[in-house]
Amino acid sequence: MLKVFKYTLLDLTRNRFVLGYALLMLAIAQGLFLLEDDPMKALLSLVQVVMALVPLIALVFTVVYMYDIQEFTQLLAVQPIARRAILGGQLLALAGALLLAQAVGLGIPLLVHAPTASALMLSISGSALVLVFAGLGALIALRQREKARGVGVALTIWLLFVLVYDALLLWGMFALSDYPIEPFIVPLAGLNPIDLARIMVMLEVDLAAMMGYSGAIYKNFFGSGPGMAVAALILLLWVAIPAWRSFVMFRKKDL
Amino acid sequence: MHDTTGPMSSLPEPRIRFSGVSKRYGALWALRGVDCTFHKGEVVMLIGPNASGKTTLIKCLLGLVHPTEGRITIDDVVIDATRPAPPPGYRATIGYMPQISQFPASLRIGDLFDMMADVRGLTAAELDDGLITDLGLHKQLDKRLSTLSGGTRQKVSAVLACRTRPSVLVMDEPTAGLDPISSTRVLAEADRVRAAGGTVLVTSHLMEEVETLADRVAYLEDGTLRFMLPMHEILAITGTDRLAKALPVMLERERMNENVVA
Repeated sequence: MLKVFKYTLLDLTRNRFVLGYALLMLAIAQGLFLLEDDPMKALLSLVQVVMALVPLIALVFTVVYMYDIQEFTQLLAVQPIARRAILGGQLLALAGALLLAQAVGLGIPLLVHAPTASALMLSISGSALVLVFAGLGALIALRQREKARGVGVALTIWLLFVLVYDALLLWGMFALSDYPIEPFIVPLAGLNPIDLARIMVMLEVDLAAMMGYSGAIYKNFFGSGPGMAVAALILLLWVAIPAWRSFVMFRKKDL
Repeated sequence: MHDTTGPMSSLPEPRIRFSGVSKRYGALWALRGVDCTFHKGEVVMLIGPNASGKTTLIKCLLGLVHPTEGRITIDDVVIDATRPAPPPGYRATIGYMPQISQFPASLRIGDLFDMMADVRGLTAAELDDGLITDLGLHKQLDKRLSTLSGGTRQKVSAVLACRTRPSVLVMDEPTAGLDPISSTRVLAEADRVRAAGGTVLVTSHLMEEVETLADRVAYLEDGTLRFMLPMHEILAITGTDRLAKALPVMLERERMNENVVA
């Protein structure tokens, strides 16, 4: 697995898209901090960008890359190494490369302009989003035979999590506002990894009430400490379950 | 099925055995109950129309595709529907040249060679670099894999298959896109493996290639093995001197009489 990891990472570090992602992130973060006098305000804008952009990039890039290396995966699969070692190495390399790009693009500006606990939490939850959506991307690429379909599914899932899910939740809240549905809304908000990541940052920033509906409820319901722990735990499941499903699928897959 | 032993006076030793191997993709049966044996020290040429199951048969042997029914044994390793993924160690002796190859775009040819040797845990002394030099790739080790022409890609793929000194060599249309001189050189690897007592399995659409190389010819159609006979017997049975002429006669005979076993 280490060898597959090493060479896949080598390939990825020379990948233009990964480099482009690092530069784009760097430009956005740097730009926001330079435009805004108050680093806190810039950080809040950056949170919104990260919550939308990171899942999109991680998801689509993973899907596309997994398709692009399909023939090479096949070549690896005829070597005397186990399939789990192949997928394990590839997933680690993908996550590693994206995290590295993010460390450069997001981590450095945060460190320079706003070295606070909130910034640290943004880096952590952003990294968690990379892992979640890279895992989902791998699963999509393994399930769909065609690249175009795979990318389509990826974009749909991204839209669902970034937009549709919250909208439906809000709509449900209004429609059912006569009933005591709050206890049900909290776990429902927790099913969306993007909401979870946002909640984790907002609990730290202490502006939850300002930042979206699910954040407000969460803050209200849990308070800071336990809310954070629950959110982190569910995010961990969001990383583990798609990755685990990918391994199960890849073991039996016809290449 | 129509499996026969070779013409040699010494008894051929089986290396790989397919027993009732079937593969279904959705509603399509790519292989239907294939029975055959591949021996040590022989080259078997696998021919048949497009989509007849040649590549699927090869992929089953390599563990890329898992058979729906039946079993494959190679040395002591068993692959069947209940054991789709045997311990991967058995592939250490196999060299495989796929029909299409795509390599990581940003790596160089030399990186790829190093990487595949490293993945197999082989040192330079254990590798055979003759093919690299003969195909002229030693002058192109710094070339990025993304910039390669189809022919060069085939050469790289051939090197990857042959460099690890395999005792089972599997090549899926190895000469497609190769110039005549490179083709001859790549096919010489099949001779070498055979001479060393290995087993070679090659698919091809070029009858001259099959004629010069094959000890036995296996004909697949619609996932069914129609016949598998020594080259000279095919010519003797049909009374022809070329495989291209013999094939239609063979298929006609086989249709009339289900038991063409020589």
